Amino acid sequence: MNELRKGWMWYCLLAVLAALPLCPGLVGNAFSGHVLVLVLLYASMAQAWNILGGYCGQVSFGHSVFFGIGAYGAGMAVVTWHISPWLGALAGAGAAAAVSVVVSYPCFRLKGHYFAIATFAIVEIFHRLFMVWDWVGGALGLDYPMLPDGWASFSWAKSKVGYYYGAFGLFLLVFSVVRWIERHRFGYYLRAVREGQETAESLGVDATRMKLRAMALSAFLAALCGAFFVQYNFRVDPPMVMSLDMSMSFVLITVLGGVGTFLGPLLGAAVLIPLQEYTRAYLSHLGAGVDLIVFGLLIILVMVKQPGGIMGLIGALARPREVK
Amino acid sequence: MRSKWSVLLSVAMGGALAATGSAQEKVIKVGTLFPLTGPVALAGERCKAAVETMAEVINTRQPGINLPLPKQPGILDGYKIVLVNADTQGKPDVAKSEAERLFNQEGCYAIIGCYNSSCTKPASAVAERENKIFLAGCASSSALTERGLKNFFRFCPTDRTESQQYAEYFKALNQDFPGAIKTVGVIYENSEFGVHAANEASQACKAAGMTVVADVPFNSGATNLNSEVQTIKAKNPDAVIAACLGGDYTLWVRTMKMMGLAPKAVMNFCSGYQDPIIAKQLAADGNFFLGSSGYSPEIAAKYMKDVAPVEALYRKKTGVEFDSDSIQEAVALYVLAMAIDKSKTLDVNKVVTTIRNTVWDSPLSLGGKIAFDANGQNTRATEIITQLKNLNYVSLYPKSYAEAKVTFPFPGWDKR
Amino acid sequence: MTMFLQVALDGILAGMLYAVVAAGLTLMWGVMDVINFAHGDFLMVAMYVSYWLGFLWRVDPLVSWVASGAFLFLLGVVTYKLIVSRCIGGKSPMAALLATFGLSMLLKNLALNRFSPNFLILTHTLLEGRKLTLGGVIVSVPQLVTSLFSLAVFGALYFILEKTRTGWAIQATAMDREASELMGISTEWIYVLVFGIGGACVGVAGGLLPSYLAVHPNMGTLFGLIAFVIVALGGFGSILGTLLAALLIGLVEAFAGFYIAPVFKYVAVFAVYLVVIMVRPKGLFGW
Repeated sequence: MNELRKGWMWYCLLAVLAALPLCPGLVGNAFSGHVLVLVLLYASMAQAWNILGGYCGQVSFGHSVFFGIGAYGAGMAVVTWHISPWLGALAGAGAAAAVSVVVSYPCFRLKGHYFAIATFAIVEIFHRLFMVWDWVGGALGLDYPMLPDGWASFSWAKSKVGYYYGAFGLFLLVFSVVRWIERHRFGYYLRAVREGQETAESLGVDATRMKLRAMALSAFLAALCGAFFVQYNFRVDPPMVMSLDMSMSFVLITVLGGVGTFLGPLLGAAVLIPLQEYTRAYLSHLGAGVDLIVFGLLIILVMVKQPGGIMGLIGALARPREVK
Repeated sequence: MRSKWSVLLSVAMGGALAATGSAQEKVIKVGTLFPLTGPVALAGERCKAAVETMAEVINTRQPGINLPLPKQPGILDGYKIVLVNADTQGKPDVAKSEAERLFNQEGCYAIIGCYNSSCTKPASAVAERENKIFLAGCASSSALTERGLKNFFRFCPTDRTESQQYAEYFKALNQDFPGAIKTVGVIYENSEFGVHAANEASQACKAAGMTVVADVPFNSGATNLNSEVQTIKAKNPDAVIAACLGGDYTLWVRTMKMMGLAPKAVMNFCSGYQDPIIAKQLAADGNFFLGSSGYSPEIAAKYMKDVAPVEALYRKKTGVEFDSDSIQEAVALYVLAMAIDKSKTLDVNKVVTTIRNTVWDSPLSLGGKIAFDANGQNTRATEIITQLKNLNYVSLYPKSYAEAKVTFPFPGWDKR
Repeated sequence: MTMFLQVALDGILAGMLYAVVAAGLTLMWGVMDVINFAHGDFLMVAMYVSYWLGFLWRVDPLVSWVASGAFLFLLGVVTYKLIVSRCIGGKSPMAALLATFGLSMLLKNLALNRFSPNFLILTHTLLEGRKLTLGGVIVSVPQLVTSLFSLAVFGALYFILEKTRTGWAIQATAMDREASELMGISTEWIYVLVFGIGGACVGVAGGLLPSYLAVHPNMGTLFGLIAFVIVALGGFGSILGTLLAALLIGLVEAFAGFYIAPVFKYVAVFAVYLVVIMVRPKGLFGW
């Protein structure tokens, strides 16, 4: 499929997404509106992770730390300092990027599984530290007061339309950044590092600097998603945002959709989030944990059958059949 | 030919009758929002079962049940209560979105929930925004009734009132055993519930003139509590106040036994202490611990005689008796139903006013009465300090409820 | 001084338990380069097996560990055959890890669904509540027995790996899969065996635990995480490394828990891991 057609299809998709709230009953105050907002949010989160994990090949399970720093940035802005959450979000994102560079610089020396386990360790450390750190509220977390509706406070009490467009804006930002990466030298350097770090270095690519840049960018965007999350839920505490489970969400969605691909994160979110939300809402009456049993089985099936995720599946189907 | 047409006609008429019949069906949907999965799923299941039990009692007139109820089954002239159950998974963000779904998709009139205070906060905020009613039976964080919400009502005592009762009890012990309790240690799970409870306990003890010498948070679900118990042992407080839910309570008791930690008194916040199954599992090891209960079968046998038939229905669902937490959820549905019936309307503002301005007769509540203040707190919520002895919760305090003398100090582990 | 010895002893005993949980993982990682995310949940399954045997037929954990070990051996084999074998060798290095993450979710919620979230403990086991007092130091007998079993398991593993032909075959496969196949070793069977042995190690540990720990669906999570850290710290594939790393982690947990603050127990564990791994990226004894 040539570049022109791909570009045209992408803009069509954006137009459809932008127009969705116009369909009556779809976004408004409905459960489907909630699911759509989450789909866009998680797609953005997964795509942010994709920059480091997919395009650069560094599989990190630590992204919930950055997500959490962004969330606390916005949360503290609203609850502790009574200023605009936009400022808090930006500050949180900047802090997350800084933390990511400091923390990952020594970690990038590690290879393969060692790097992954190190990122687990980092999440656990941050999670437990935040639980006892009184300045950020510790285990009690931060609860939002009733905020007035509107873009200034980024909070809406009844309708989800504002949140939808906020999530859509975030989605646009993250996906545009990745689109830019795909076409420019930075993206090629990242992919070179992914395919073979020593080879890339021998060709003059400063692998460490590329990895750090990817990490900082990825962390910055993940933190913005965290700020959105806290504005949406009106509360933040460490288990909500800095947990291992949240980190796994970043990874799972991207991998299920197709790691290292442009549309993978969106496809992964579009399948996984509705599944997660609807099975919990409508199947949980079948007994404890049935929705999560279904979820677990699905993950196993996909990873066993088609590790390339949905994009891999599409690719396999699109390949011309062999002549028998 | 004629018979075929008559069959068709009667089917059509039957259908029309059925359609009008269902249009007449009067239903009030009430949502239950509890953690049905996750670490406290057991408590969540019991709370849900309690609400289901009460719905059954209200919708059908069961023989032998002696609660003040309207003459006809249901309320408000034949409205039935239909429950819509949802799971918070113990997560605040899930609680919020489930609350929205219950109100907007399922059309619930009110929600009863959420057991965890961290989930109750966002869920009740949703209710307030939608101008719907939210009832919290057993969520105990005092912050819940400090938010100025008008549609929120909470039935159980708060961590603050419980802590004050503990401090009072220690002072009472000091009168009978002079100078016995001067220092206090606090051990608690490092979660929203535990931290809040421990803060309240420390403040109450300090205000009563005692010194808090140990403050030990632990990670829930830890592989062992050795360091925690050793730390307390090293500080050697006269009394220990613990906030442990469910299974951590078992680990706490057993580790105390293993390390030989035996302060003069061990007081426990809710849940683990008063869980009948955990008490059975601990058997003799659970003896002589203190805690506060708003309910136990022993208390009911003496002061709440009308609970037994309702409890029989509950036992069919869960296999156990009521406990302090779950019974409050049943009471919550009871008060909601009575308020709707008394207001003779489903208008939320009127029902809320009725709830707030009435002193309710509640045979399922200790003390028999319920009344709410401007913040939605049940000011008549009562708890008794009890001591567990051989699977019996012996009432000790307030003095009017005392049925035996306390075994004090806490006997050493080797001396049993 | 007594306190110091007490804390040290607690740390060693805890470390021995972690060691036997990590033993199987280090084999899987070393031989097949697979992180079994469900390893902690294997422990949970083993505990349930032992618990139900004890609850229904009064079999003491001192005996039922055999059944747990055998059951987990089978579970390990099945996990390999159905899931892991189809994930390795492919393009995605994370496939096995994520698939076992799915398995972990599945096991946890199956246990929740079938056995309820109740914390279940056995009463009246042979070892329950017994303790020895040496000097001023209290030793919990169930923990001591578990540690002795753990040493025995390690001894057996060491013997198998170093002194038997099968063990050499396992080591050879770990070093170079293709060369081993050229030498006539059926690497497929080796992989099956490794997963089975790994499961059995965890099964033995889990079988003994109901003597003093309560079982519930989520109890495997932290054990699994600590096991990963231990294996990475010790260097994958090294049995001795795993044992020493586990003891180190147990001691760090105990000392940090008492001398700093109990709530920093695990922060210290993970922090120590990060520090060591920065200095020696392949772990203490890794190949």
